[in-house]
Amino acid sequence: MAGSDFLLEYLPILIFMGLAAIIGIAFLVLPTLLAPSNPDQEKVSTYECGFEAFDDARMKFDVQFYIVAILFIIVDLDVAFLFPWAVALFNPELGMDRDFQIFAFWSMFVFLAVFFIGFAYEWKKGALEWR
Amino acid sequence: MEPFVVLLPLFGALLAMPIGRMVSARAAELTTIAFVLMACLIAWVLFFDVAVGHNARTIQLFTWIGSGNFIADWAVKLDTMSVIMLVVITSVSSLVHIYSVGYMHDDASRPRFFAYLSLFTFAMLTLVTADNFIQLFFGWEGVGLASYLLIGFYHHKKSANDAAIKAFVVNRVGDFGFALGIMAIFFIFGSVGFEEVFQAVRTDAVVTPFNAADGAPISELTVGFLGLELHALTLIGILLFIGAMGKSAQFFLHTWLPDAMEGPTPVSALIHAATMVTAGVFLVCRCSIIYENAPDAATLVTFIGATTAFFAATVGLLQDDIKKVIAYSTCSQLGYMFFAAGVGSYGAAMFHLFTHAFFKALLFLGAGSVIHAVHHEQDMKKMGGVRHILPFTYAMMIIGTIAITGVGFPFLYDIFHFPVGTAGFASKDAIIEAAYAAGTEGRTGAYYAFAMGLIAAVFTSFYSWRLIFLTFHGKSRAPDHVMKHPHFPPNWMLLPLAVLAFGALFAGMLGYKSFVGDKAASFWGNSIYIAGDAHAGGESHAVEAYAAEATPPVEGDHAETPAIASAEDPAGAAHDEAEEHTEGYGEEGEGHHFPLWVLYAPLLAMLIGFGTAFAHYMRGSDPLRPGLLREGGILYSFLKNKWYVDEVYRFLFLNPSRRLGRILWKIGDGRIIDGLGPDGLSGLAGFGSRLIVRLQSGYIYHYAFAMLVGIGVILLIVRLGGAQ
Amino acid sequence: MQLGDNISFAFPEIWLAISAMALLMIGVFIDSKYHRFISFGAIFSIFVALFLVNFGTASENASLFNGAFVTDGFGQFSKSVIYVAAIFAIILSDRFMERERLARFEYPVLILLSVLGMSLMVASTDLISVYMGIELQSLALYILATFNRDSRRSTEAGLKYFVLGALSSGLMLYGMSLIYGFTGATTFEAIAAGADEANRIGLIFGMVFLISGLSFKVSAAPFHMWTPDVYEGSPTPVTAFFAAAPKFAAMAIFARVLVEAFPAATDALSDWQQVIVLVSILSMVVGAFSAIAQKNIKRLMAYSSIGHMGYALMGLAAGTSQGISSVLVYMTIYLIMTIGTFACILMMRRPEGMAENISDLSGLSQTRPGLAIMFSALMFSLAGIPIFLGFFAKLYVFMAAVNAGLFVLVVVGALSSVIATYYYLRVVKIIWMDEPAPEFERDAGPGVKGVAILSTVLIVAGIVVIMPFLNIAAEAAAATLF
Repeated sequence: MAGSDFLLEYLPILIFMGLAAIIGIAFLVLPTLLAPSNPDQEKVSTYECGFEAFDDARMKFDVQFYIVAILFIIVDLDVAFLFPWAVALFNPELGMDRDFQIFAFWSMFVFLAVFFIGFAYEWKKGALEWR
Repeated sequence: MEPFVVLLPLFGALLAMPIGRMVSARAAELTTIAFVLMACLIAWVLFFDVAVGHNARTIQLFTWIGSGNFIADWAVKLDTMSVIMLVVITSVSSLVHIYSVGYMHDDASRPRFFAYLSLFTFAMLTLVTADNFIQLFFGWEGVGLASYLLIGFYHHKKSANDAAIKAFVVNRVGDFGFALGIMAIFFIFGSVGFEEVFQAVRTDAVVTPFNAADGAPISELTVGFLGLELHALTLIGILLFIGAMGKSAQFFLHTWLPDAMEGPTPVSALIHAATMVTAGVFLVCRCSIIYENAPDAATLVTFIGATTAFFAATVGLLQDDIKKVIAYSTCSQLGYMFFAAGVGSYGAAMFHLFTHAFFKALLFLGAGSVIHAVHHEQDMKKMGGVRHILPFTYAMMIIGTIAITGVGFPFLYDIFHFPVGTAGFASKDAIIEAAYAAGTEGRTGAYYAFAMGLIAAVFTSFYSWRLIFLTFHGKSRAPDHVMKHPHFPPNWMLLPLAVLAFGALFAGMLGYKSFVGDKAASFWGNSIYIAGDAHAGGESHAVEAYAAEATPPVEGDHAETPAIASAEDPAGAAHDEAEEHTEGYGEEGEGHHFPLWVLYAPLLAMLIGFGTAFAHYMRGSDPLRPGLLREGGILYSFLKNKWYVDEVYRFLFLNPSRRLGRILWKIGDGRIIDGLGPDGLSGLAGFGSRLIVRLQSGYIYHYAFAMLVGIGVILLIVRLGGAQ
Repeated sequence: MQLGDNISFAFPEIWLAISAMALLMIGVFIDSKYHRFISFGAIFSIFVALFLVNFGTASENASLFNGAFVTDGFGQFSKSVIYVAAIFAIILSDRFMERERLARFEYPVLILLSVLGMSLMVASTDLISVYMGIELQSLALYILATFNRDSRRSTEAGLKYFVLGALSSGLMLYGMSLIYGFTGATTFEAIAAGADEANRIGLIFGMVFLISGLSFKVSAAPFHMWTPDVYEGSPTPVTAFFAAAPKFAAMAIFARVLVEAFPAATDALSDWQQVIVLVSILSMVVGAFSAIAQKNIKRLMAYSSIGHMGYALMGLAAGTSQGISSVLVYMTIYLIMTIGTFACILMMRRPEGMAENISDLSGLSQTRPGLAIMFSALMFSLAGIPIFLGFFAKLYVFMAAVNAGLFVLVVVGALSSVIATYYYLRVVKIIWMDEPAPEFERDAGPGVKGVAILSTVLIVAGIVVIMPFLNIAAEAAAATLF
């Protein structure tokens, strides 16, 4: 039946969601059973990038948290970009045109070069040094 | 060459200040004098070429204003009238320039003075050489400006500034009429050129006013003005005459002239005696063909002229300021010129203009010499006995006085066939006789003019001799230091006096035949209307031209047309009248045909005036003793206060307009216009500004809110707009 | 078209991108005392881009990258003007940044990057590339606004600009998505082709949001609120740059989007015309009224710029070739005037710091007559008084609007320019008639002085020197849009 075929295509997602739920719940449940419980003030407070969770928003904070976070996000996006590029472009089954593959290959290198320049700038400026 | 007669003084005017600053004041004086003298030379050459050689012409220089039908050229029109004016203006101007070198020698801003004088000369020359009303108006305003500047030359004196403003304002009143007149001319004729307009009047052409459906012969045309339906030519004539009244200080608009004596005396001689004030007479004579065809306007001219002649003479009787006496005298003499023109004797008017320029300039410059000598004192009560100090000036003033009072020998006419006597005798007698003659012809107001002219002649003689006696005779009433150290006039000042004295003595005899005598028709050519054309014989080609143009499509009934109204009539009427009044208008050729008393009356009037003055001011020890007119009397106050004209004006015009001005200023301008206009609007702008600025709070969420509201409003409007 | 060809047409932009990155690397690796050379390098690289735009392959007409970009006369004209403005902005910053201890090599690099963004933006013919260009230039500008990061005002300005800019980007993206949704296309050509009566309403909504976003960039009312705060808070050379190049670029793409994606042929003209008329009127009125109350010269210039954008939009509202050409003329002249004025403002410096109040100009005619003359000429020109260039700018847009029959707009424009004249003349009055305030320092540097003198000369003699060429060039550029 066409309808069930269609739904069957979504079966992996269902399995994935089930696994995610199981693992997630497991990670919440297991520590309460296994870990020693020795709470103190710092441990029970919410983790919020080094800030008090409930406090005046107008406070001084160290911008370095953000620099690291931004760098992290950028690299994250970079990877998110690189994966489909690698999988889609060089998968022999998709049979991409040779010229197009070369073009795409170098395009990515241009992107990486630009990315690297940004990274080099940040590094050289000392943004990664934790003072 | 011709344009230079006009332009040379302008060059002088422009150069005077720079030269005065860079070289010296003397250099500036000499420069302007040189330019004016050159202009004078050219003027005389042109005079002989045009007036004597009958070579009238117009030189078009360029089109000044060209807008549709409205075309005003810049031209140098040279006909007999304009060359006479050229000669008078440049000659008197040259002499005054020279005289001023001496008179103004201790003034710091001489270059400015000479620049103004030359500027005035330029403007006056532009005026008289105009071939259209617009250029004439330019010159008219130009001389007004120069007059304003020169009256207020001593700008540190309040009285001088006041006088300058008064002259300017009173002239504006006249100029308003003049401007309306020019507009009326353009409205009716569609042109402002003399030739086109006069030709239309001459030939009684059919003209169509600006927005009228159909035209009519000019003699019958009427136009609406101020809600009245007026005869077109009469309207034009009256409006132009209002302009002339202002410029020539005629009764009602004369008040500025006596005050104008605040200016330096050479200015009074040049502008307020010889040239500018005669511009009105020039205008009326230039437009003679219009006045001949507008009898009502001509009557007005006669009436105002005669009244002014009488009025100014009476006021002159009691003036103590030496210059004011001469100023009122000028006013009075201008009255003579106007009523001469009003009774149709334009030649006589121009003749008197011509001779008057000489003797009045002479009197003014002589008075200036006296004033200069007695340390700028102008009150005759503080003079006396000046003849011992200034014998030459005394002689010159005597010549001027006998010229203005008209000393002559009428009985010699039959022998020499021209009047033997001073310039004033020749011209003034011509005027008075012309008035009488016109009276016999039945011209309205002519007898009135004749009577007024005679009475004024008595008074003229009286105040002129009074001036001489008070100033030059008797014991000195001046302070001692003045009489011990008088300023002797330098030769710069005496030379012009001599030249003018020559003119004052002989100009009348030399000019008589040409101006009003039997050569008049050929002399004037086309430039003025001459009543006596017809019997001046075949000499005048111009007359024949008139007659030829005029030879009319005369219908039988045309004879009944009022004699003066239609263009063919002057010639025709003149033919008719020729027979009947050849005797009456006797001076043409065959000798006097007036009653004897008319011929001798002016002389008699002069003698009466002289005798009275002599009796009062030369007999007895104290010339200042109360005489016929005692101080405190009604008549005395009336005359002393110049007929209360200034006071009446103050009451009728000045005070109400000042009150009106205050109302308009405080309420109209201050509260209403400023309050609603500039102040109100700017207040509104300030209010709007505060309102909008308040929106600019500095909070991001306000800004974001404004953006979203903006989008909402725009979408709403677009949807509403799209729904339509 | 082959990729290689596409790239050759995009040489100016590629060159700018490479040189920006190269300068960034050089700057970060060399010693800080050589940082001035980065400025020179940036100026040089913009010069090269200017050359490439006008004399390279980029001066030919071509559609690139599957309709994402175009090289045409309009783009060429806009890019040239933007490049020149950027060069002046770098020159103006020279001495100022040193004295304010802001001299960092990132400044010219950021300007280069924003110029790159503008360059892409004005050449875009696709909503995506438009957005990319706008964001590239805006991100650089946000940072420039906060360039004086130790100053509260500067950081506040940058933050406001950023937050509101993000909002406007959001609005614009929303509009773009609506347009895409109703026509199924992002290239202008396809949008124009896909418009019909059925999707008209949806398109209008999308268009209004798009116009809102672009209005924000040109700081037209009611999307102008950021302008005064950002102008006042940013370092003065940055403000000068803000007032010049980005305004021109935004106005250019504004014109291109409306004319190419919503052409008169599809009846869309009447839809966006009324929006532009409304925005134009609001801008002129807000600019005229608000400026009256200002005491800070930079805020005054902000409102002045809002008003001027209203006039420029007047030409755009005409929607005709003449209208677009008048917009280009207007913006070019406005650019000259505004750069000149900011150069003068940069000379307002006392030992204790920059003077920014209008009252600081008191009696300038007595202490610094030369500066006073330049200031006055610029104010006269901004007010649109004849002989000065500003008058001709207004004349052209008014003529375009009259020919398009937008009489209400013209009347409002004339009235508001009367009001605007007041506050320009007030500055002149303060300069010439008030009692002198303490003298300004005289070490503004040759760059600033040169720019001030050059722009004053241009606005005074412009009628002969540039007007004829500018007019022809603008007409030719505008013609390529139709």
